[in-house]
Amino acid sequence: MSTLTEAPPPLAPATPEKKPARRRGRFTPYWLLLPGMLWLIVFFALPMIYQASTSVQQGSLEEGYKVTWHFATYWDALAAYWPQFLRSVSYAAAATVLCLLLGYPLAYLIAFRAGRWKNLIMILVIAPFFTSFLIRTLAWKTILADNGVVVHTLNSLHLLDLTNWLGWTAGDRVLATPLAVVCGLTYNFLPFMILPLYTSLERIDGRLHEAAGDLYARPWTTFRKVTFPLSMPGVVSGTLLTFIPAAGDYVNAELLGSTDTRMIGNVIQTQFLRILDYPTAAALSFILMAAILAMVTLYIRRSGTEDLV
Amino acid sequence: MPFVNWLKRRLVVIAGLLTLAYLLLPNVVVTVFSFNKPKGRFNYEWQRFSTDAWKDPCGVADMCGSLSLSLQIALWATVGATVLGTMISFALVRYRFRARGAVNSLIFLPMAMPEVVMAASLLTLFLNMGAQLGFWTILIAHIMFCLSFVVTAVKARVMSMDPRLEEAARDLYAGPVQTFLRVTLPIAAPGIAAGALLSFALSFDDFIITNFNAGSTVTFPMFVWGSAQRGTPVQINVIGTAMFLVAVLLVLSSMVITHRRNKQKA
Amino acid sequence: MKTTPDNSGDVRLSGISKTYGSFTAVHPLDLTVPEGSFFALLGASGCGKTTTLRMIAGLEEPTTGTVRLGDQDVTHLPPYKRPVNTVFQSYALFPHLDIFENVAFGLRRRGIKSVKKQVEEMLELVQLGEQARKKPHQLSGGQQQRVAVARALINHPKVLLLDEPLGALDLKLRRQMQLELKRIQTEVGITFVHVTHDQEEAMTMADTVAVMNGGRVEQLGSPADLYENPQSTFVANFLGTSNLIEAEVDTKNGDDLVLKAGGGKLVLPEARCSAPTTAGGKVLVGIRPEKISLTHADDAGEIPAGRNRLTGKIADASFIGVSTQYVIDSPVCDELAVYVQNVERDGRLVPGADVVLHWNPAHTFGLDAAQDIDAGTEEEVAA
Repeated sequence: MSTLTEAPPPLAPATPEKKPARRRGRFTPYWLLLPGMLWLIVFFALPMIYQASTSVQQGSLEEGYKVTWHFATYWDALAAYWPQFLRSVSYAAAATVLCLLLGYPLAYLIAFRAGRWKNLIMILVIAPFFTSFLIRTLAWKTILADNGVVVHTLNSLHLLDLTNWLGWTAGDRVLATPLAVVCGLTYNFLPFMILPLYTSLERIDGRLHEAAGDLYARPWTTFRKVTFPLSMPGVVSGTLLTFIPAAGDYVNAELLGSTDTRMIGNVIQTQFLRILDYPTAAALSFILMAAILAMVTLYIRRSGTEDLV
Repeated sequence: MPFVNWLKRRLVVIAGLLTLAYLLLPNVVVTVFSFNKPKGRFNYEWQRFSTDAWKDPCGVADMCGSLSLSLQIALWATVGATVLGTMISFALVRYRFRARGAVNSLIFLPMAMPEVVMAASLLTLFLNMGAQLGFWTILIAHIMFCLSFVVTAVKARVMSMDPRLEEAARDLYAGPVQTFLRVTLPIAAPGIAAGALLSFALSFDDFIITNFNAGSTVTFPMFVWGSAQRGTPVQINVIGTAMFLVAVLLVLSSMVITHRRNKQKA
Repeated sequence: MKTTPDNSGDVRLSGISKTYGSFTAVHPLDLTVPEGSFFALLGASGCGKTTTLRMIAGLEEPTTGTVRLGDQDVTHLPPYKRPVNTVFQSYALFPHLDIFENVAFGLRRRGIKSVKKQVEEMLELVQLGEQARKKPHQLSGGQQQRVAVARALINHPKVLLLDEPLGALDLKLRRQMQLELKRIQTEVGITFVHVTHDQEEAMTMADTVAVMNGGRVEQLGSPADLYENPQSTFVANFLGTSNLIEAEVDTKNGDDLVLKAGGGKLVLPEARCSAPTTAGGKVLVGIRPEKISLTHADDAGEIPAGRNRLTGKIADASFIGVSTQYVIDSPVCDELAVYVQNVERDGRLVPGADVVLHWNPAHTFGLDAAQDIDAGTEEEVAA
């Protein structure tokens, strides 16, 4: 016990200052926030305002643009490009539903059934991210090629006749059709569905399944009444993380589609980077933003509380 | 009907594995076609086996240049977004201040915004300011959209941290700076690392925002995009395959190392 | 091997209070903890005991009042400049550092270079020498608790603060650690201030206990004093169990008060009554369950004279090994608790039997009847 009787080194002398830490700390949060927030204000919020103002400007590249509050740009843009808008929403919705249907079993598998393979499967879900998504999307050109296995199989099963009739494919092709674009969208955003689903499934106490079984619920009923409702947060964030980027995407439509599958992203990109019609492009982009924010708000409201079950 | 029952019990597993196959199929194709020797300019149809591309991965004009540019941008974007995002996270978790709601929405909105909208509006800003499009505009854009993801990752970690740990440090003679460096930062490190890793991946793979704001500068995804129009060299597949393998190997080896370390200690 | 008492280890709180907005966690409070004592702050959650402890540690700044260690005013000193260390609730061990570095943390922060010898000795004291290179999560709860104590003690604090240090341990381990902590305290002679909600823990370990309720100290004293002579219904109920009977002051007889309860009379030494004792005033008469003897109504004649008596009927009896706990239905009180040692059991004492309860009047205590009679009971605390 000798160590305990040694005198401790003297501490700093006690000069009772008046609340030093508090005074120094009052502005700390603002200093911490300042650089990052400034970044977001200047490079995210401000551009939105610029864009809003651009959308009501008139003029040309040569003579410059002036704000004339020309709201007709919005009506003209909507009138000219409503099919692309509609297509964006329906393709994104289709891809989101497919992602949910495909992603849920895999997320469930990882969360409850994978055992010691859990980490490996997890790695395999994430690892494709490290290959550029453009390269992987191009690979679908090979997979869905006209003389490839997929088209051949679908053809011999006469499934292509069905999809032709539905308007999802045309001729004996899958490439350059809506089916290919939706397939690409689904593929690209599937991990964004799986990861939040997995996170919320993993939090579910395994004993709840046993309790449900103990209380006479069959496996399917257990899923419907216990597992699925509890995974709702994951379903909501998964669908949002899939739908939003899918609705604005133009890469899949460009690489796997044709002129008949152009989405609103393609139009905005073309208007901005090729035709250089900035007001129209800005108006379109503004409409897309407003539409998505409105849909997301509505969706979150609806799935927020009592409608979860 | 034992087979039907067997199938029923394993339905989830089978469906899950099919999804996994769907996710991995393109990577398999990319890998296989990195050994192709295509006839024309496009690498979409199998011709015959060759290792030419693997022997000369930089054999395509401009490709490796764009790759190194992408890596540089990703590195700096990661540093920038991680530092700024970590600062914001600490402010959000540790302090009470006005305008918290506004700050939270400003962080949430970039994640809820289609990329093309952010890309187009940012371009409007740069055009209005008369900025020279290139390395710096790309970097600015990347830091902007990575920031929110870093905040989300770090915030989760800092929130789950027991505030008593910092109190314990202060109780044990660590001043504010020492407490931050010795306790707060090391414990928040996994969250910061996750945010940084995510930033790197997002920045390196970004196409849409980069495409709008790059001017004549060409990053690796833009190179791939351009080659989809002009002709896809096999080397693209080589790079894609190599990155996939490096990523998987890194993760696996780190897992093996932690596993062994835990075993030794236990 | 105690350090010479120079009173530098006294903790003197004068008029300290803490308010958060409109909520007052601690009402102005004066308290002196003498150097070298083992002092417990006892109370239910939310009573202000932890806030008081945190003000001593410097983790909360008092709204009013001063904190002194000996003669030094530390009220506005940050925690890292106070010669006080804390054993935190659920320990707050640094998860990224191993046990050795956790214990060495405070020494290193004060710029001490060669910490190896001290840390090793300290780990030996808490019997964890073997575990030095393990991470906290690899240790059991009891081991983590000892690391937390070692990490604080190695700094030779003038005062060691313990915030519910045993709360996370199971019952058996808690008993063991109570003795262990008491041993360490005796050995190092440092002032310990211990916060707990467990009355048994406080009574086992502390020399002095302050019972807190609603941000105030209800009563302060040695465990035996608090138990035998509670001065409020809260203390009477929170520390063990008390039977409280409503009564009226009838007459004074020397040093004793004679009270009317139901039809009978009870005697209470005036010195043991904390309520005003004017004739006709209401008083709560208290008696601990183990002080009462039970006699079957048929043998009532054998009870010696001069004892307080009540009649009743056994409503319930539970056998718990060393004793049998009876619940008695009496005209003056519905549920009187009586604990009888299982020495010579009377087979007639079964539910339904008529009995006489009797006890030595010297064990009776009197409380102010204006208080809530249920304050501090388990039902009330849980609500």
